[in-house]
Amino acid sequence: MPDYTLTASTPLDGYSRDFVGVSIHEVNDRAIVSIAVPKHGERELAKLLTSSYQIELPKPGILSVASRDNVVLFNMAQDQYFLVFDYTGNTATSVVRNLLGDTAYLTDQSDSYVWVRISGTNSRCLLERICPLDIHPSVFPVGSVARTVMEHLGTTIIHDAEDSFLLLSARSSAHSFLEAIETSAANTEPVN
Amino acid sequence: MIIHHPLLGPRDASEFVYKGDASLINRPDWQADNAPELFHDYLYLRDNPAGEHQELWYHEQGDRSWLVVTRNTLTHDITNVELARDVAFAKQANKSGRVEKSGRGKK
Amino acid sequence: MSQINRIDGGLVDRTQKLNFTFDGQTLEGYAGDTLASALLANGHKMVGRSFKYHRPRGIFSAGSEEPNALVQLRSGAYQEPNTRATITELFHGLEATSQNHRGSLKYDFMAVNDLFSSFLSAGFYYKTFMWPKAFWEKFYEPVIRAAAGLGRLSGEDDPDIYDKGFLHCDVLVVGAGPSGLSAALSAGRAGARVILMDEDFHMGGRLNAEILSVDGQSGHEWTRQAIAELSAMDNVRLMTRTTAYGAYDHGIIGALERATDHLISSSDKPNLKKPRQILWRVYTERTILCAGSTERPIAFGNNDRPGIMLAGAVRAYVNRWGALPGKRVAVFTNNDDGWRTATDLAEKGVEITAVIDSRDGQPPVDVPNGAAVVMGGRIVDTQGRHGIRSITLSNGQKIPTDCLAVSGGWSPNVQLTCHQRGRPTWREDIAAFVPGGELPQGMMVAGAAAGNLSLSSVLQDGHDLGNQAVSDLGFNPTAAVAAISEEETVGISAFWYVKESKARSWLDLQNDVTVKDVKLSHQEGFRSVEHLKRYTTLGMATDQGKTANIPALAVMAECTGKSIPETGTTIFRPPYTPVAIGALAGRARGKDFRPARLTPSHAWAEEQGAVFVETGIWYRAQWFPKAGETHWRQSVDREVTQTRASVGVCDVTTLGKIDIQGKDAAEFLNKVYANAFAKLPVGKVRYGIMLREDGIMMDDGTSARFSDNHFVMTTTTANAVGVFRHMEFCRQCLWPEMDVHLISSTEQYAQFAVAGPNARKLLQKVVDSYHDISNEAFPFMACGEITVCDGVPARLFRISFSGELAYEIAVPTRYGDSLVRTLMAAGEEFDVTAYGTEALGVMRIEKGHAAGNELNGQTTAQDLGMGRMVSKKKDCIGNTLSERENLNREDGLSLVGLRPVNRSDELKAGAHFIAKGKAANMTNDEGWMSSVAFSPSLGHSIGLGFIKQGNDRMGEIVRAADPLRGSEVEVEIVSAHFIDPEGERLRA
Repeated sequence: MPDYTLTASTPLDGYSRDFVGVSIHEVNDRAIVSIAVPKHGERELAKLLTSSYQIELPKPGILSVASRDNVVLFNMAQDQYFLVFDYTGNTATSVVRNLLGDTAYLTDQSDSYVWVRISGTNSRCLLERICPLDIHPSVFPVGSVARTVMEHLGTTIIHDAEDSFLLLSARSSAHSFLEAIETSAANTEPVN
Repeated sequence: MIIHHPLLGPRDASEFVYKGDASLINRPDWQADNAPELFHDYLYLRDNPAGEHQELWYHEQGDRSWLVVTRNTLTHDITNVELARDVAFAKQANKSGRVEKSGRGKK
Repeated sequence: MSQINRIDGGLVDRTQKLNFTFDGQTLEGYAGDTLASALLANGHKMVGRSFKYHRPRGIFSAGSEEPNALVQLRSGAYQEPNTRATITELFHGLEATSQNHRGSLKYDFMAVNDLFSSFLSAGFYYKTFMWPKAFWEKFYEPVIRAAAGLGRLSGEDDPDIYDKGFLHCDVLVVGAGPSGLSAALSAGRAGARVILMDEDFHMGGRLNAEILSVDGQSGHEWTRQAIAELSAMDNVRLMTRTTAYGAYDHGIIGALERATDHLISSSDKPNLKKPRQILWRVYTERTILCAGSTERPIAFGNNDRPGIMLAGAVRAYVNRWGALPGKRVAVFTNNDDGWRTATDLAEKGVEITAVIDSRDGQPPVDVPNGAAVVMGGRIVDTQGRHGIRSITLSNGQKIPTDCLAVSGGWSPNVQLTCHQRGRPTWREDIAAFVPGGELPQGMMVAGAAAGNLSLSSVLQDGHDLGNQAVSDLGFNPTAAVAAISEEETVGISAFWYVKESKARSWLDLQNDVTVKDVKLSHQEGFRSVEHLKRYTTLGMATDQGKTANIPALAVMAECTGKSIPETGTTIFRPPYTPVAIGALAGRARGKDFRPARLTPSHAWAEEQGAVFVETGIWYRAQWFPKAGETHWRQSVDREVTQTRASVGVCDVTTLGKIDIQGKDAAEFLNKVYANAFAKLPVGKVRYGIMLREDGIMMDDGTSARFSDNHFVMTTTTANAVGVFRHMEFCRQCLWPEMDVHLISSTEQYAQFAVAGPNARKLLQKVVDSYHDISNEAFPFMACGEITVCDGVPARLFRISFSGELAYEIAVPTRYGDSLVRTLMAAGEEFDVTAYGTEALGVMRIEKGHAAGNELNGQTTAQDLGMGRMVSKKKDCIGNTLSERENLNREDGLSLVGLRPVNRSDELKAGAHFIAKGKAANMTNDEGWMSSVAFSPSLGHSIGLGFIKQGNDRMGEIVRAADPLRGSEVEVEIVSAHFIDPEGERLRA
């Protein structure tokens, strides 16, 4: 055995900070596996997702949620989904392959993103400064998901609970992304 | 500008990257006798209409769909948006003589 | 003596006194004042000098249309020129100074321009500064620049912060006057998401300035209740100090919120370190434009003196602010509304000296006590050096007055309706343009902006359009009825300028354009209104001619003998009112100009003192200086030498990585790469070249096959995004039937090149021992999925950019930082070095590998010596057109190596090759040097370049001429492979 061991780091070293009315936290206990649907393989995949995770293939913009491993599933592109679940190990695709077999093409994306949760009554006010999408609950209710661009960075936004949003952006630009969020928080923090 | 993505609804044009004339979908047959001429025309000859224009937009900061957008170059009015994949399929079907399946186009 | 001209009433808060300074003098005002109302309350009439003639100027209007009262606010780095005093909200400690004068405001040396005014007429610059040519740069321009402009910039960095944001609503109501409030109430009550914005800090619009009643109570009280009702609705957002400045494609509205301009400089109050201004992009289904109307003046002799103001503004100062613009006020009007200034002021006990109405007939209302009434009257001239003292009528009568209120009627604020394709239409009955043509998407116009000039019609119109907008969107309007008010008279008879005036009559106060200038421009042949504008500069100042355009059009129409609608208006473009560049820039300043991507080894590299270079938005380590190294070349030479002698480690995460899966993945690669890929065995990597459809090189890289249906492609760092986009195009638009799926895995893996004769030995220390990476088991161009450091999954590729025995090893990004530290620790026994992009570049040039400099969008595979790789047996992007005759000429370019004949010479990239004895010009140009480096391995400068028929010219000596930088070096054409041309090292 080699004499060396590797230690894992998270994109923002577990960042967590509270502003008046809003909290910003890095989330780092989730795995992401991209599921690409083979041509004409959608029905078979859907069947297996139902039997394994008790989850349905969602329409674009909507989260499918299951209790097993706190799984959520959403559409990322035509014929491509992201399966997100509680897992911090190194072989997320193996976990999924055990359940889905060869019905889909899997790619590990767990290390590709920084996850930031923005929660609190001022969340939407903060996001107004960087998010071009309408995230008012009447059009983007809890359980909605969309990909867009914030401060030049591609970002997936998930409305995961009332006054709570999860943001997913590229890992290499995590610090710029955080700065965009922190600046927005400071710019929108109520005085006093 | 706002582009009404057939799957995702209205999205700001800043999420998209523009490519050009949608005729780029009609790539010639490389084995045709006059393939060099066909490829030349495909690549270099474009209509430049003052009015309705079908063009390719890529939803780079979205779901990475290529779209065929019908836009009026004078007014920027967008009258139709389709998934380029559907358009490409329909063209292939046309070529092979099958009945064209209507696209998922939407204003 | 404080606030000598303050009277009772209005909307100012007399319990809150605010001290401010004007030109150093401390003055006092109240909360709710503008700088203009506070100056008037303090008896200040003259507040600046005009642009061209340096004429004394005062406050002209009471809103954003102000052409005259431009002042400089604050000081030091916070200094802001050309701020309109009429919309500057007073705050405690506000510092304002007048601008555009040398010497004091009262005694301006530049006022001499006024004496030469006959030379400074329309087109003066065009005519005068033409000749002699040499004078332009040395004399005219500096003098003009010194004399022109209004305020001064601080010349320092703007210390304020700015922000941007996005708003969404069903109905956006622009303007919170009576129509806007009514519209917002209708829409809000129906449950729609409504945003109501107003440029003022106090909603109410003209209701603030009038003493009219609404629903049986004062307009002020009705406004207060309307705002209270709207504020209580969750679905309504009220935004004061916010100007909708532009209407863009598909109904998007641009708005500027002046968030903290009304607070003292943020530097003094850290808790107010908030964005000064916010630029909003508003997405809305419906926009109800309730922008109101702007009063316009009448031109007559010397109509620019301080104290000559718009009649509605005079009324506003008295009614809203309790500030008296004068004690003996005269009115000059062509319409009924002008009379209201007389009656309102008289009611407050102000002496009205005269009402001059250009119309014949009877006065439309009761004449105030003591006022002389002249129906069918004309003012031909005025007197008073620093402020008006009297007026002269056409009949010779002279009337003393210290304030002249002028009304030429009201022009609907149609600007936003024209920002797309709307073109206003003329309405003779109100002598004004109203919105016409095709309005911006989703826009409706209500109230005075639509040409409804009476309060009762405005209230009804706003109410109705609010209901209509929400009905359109599927909401149910409530049964509430519109607020009502009594009908007032709004009669008008067009009257634009006094022909009898001998003295100059101003149209555009800010750019000093007179009636004579407009006539002159017509006389000189400028027939189009757009030409008139450019020639005279009418309407081109910061106020964009809000008060000037229509009267000027009328003068022009008269010259041409056409009607005003035939003459037409110039096209309105955004912004409606000025938007600071700082607001447009938002946060995008300094390091926030664009985001940065950091490599997994970034923190470690920083600890090593690495120097970083930006490649796109990536920051990569360029070299790693060691103690004692004072020049970058020392570091780079050492990194190269150490790598070639033993082993080096370089972060190559930035190369694009694309995960390609599907039954047709191999066939897909075969189509996007010009060389063959279909039969690449599993466990192997192949170098691939990608062409554009026109046959020019697009990118190069490697693809590794991990299983039948699974490839991992690498692209160059620079083209990663473009190649991915291109492949999605191919997949979706060209070959949609293929089962192939793409996803970027650039971010997923930290990837390091480990290069040098000891690379394998180093890797064997971290790769788990059950993976055999010996030369036999894992030869050159092998790839595989392995584990390192006891079970961490990794990918290993035996590829080499440096020409050495080399690998690239990839681990999940979370382990990247740990892996580089581990490799460096494990490599200590081999004297391992980290190397940066410079050493990487040196080694690839030594090896003759093409990179971005060679793939410059002009070169073909043929030029790069890889022509034979382009398959002619398959359909792939670019191969058909790559066969074009001119891309395959016998005298085409070839990539070659170059070395200086005199080995101590330094080569320069960008030099062009010229045969010996020929002149260095385009005709004799034979190619160019694309990349150069100092090769520590060879001990001299080397280069790569393209030269005609280079492959047949080995050993020939040519000149590398660089006339731009004045150097010329004799170089010998050699093989591009300076190091290990047989490739023995990388197969070791």
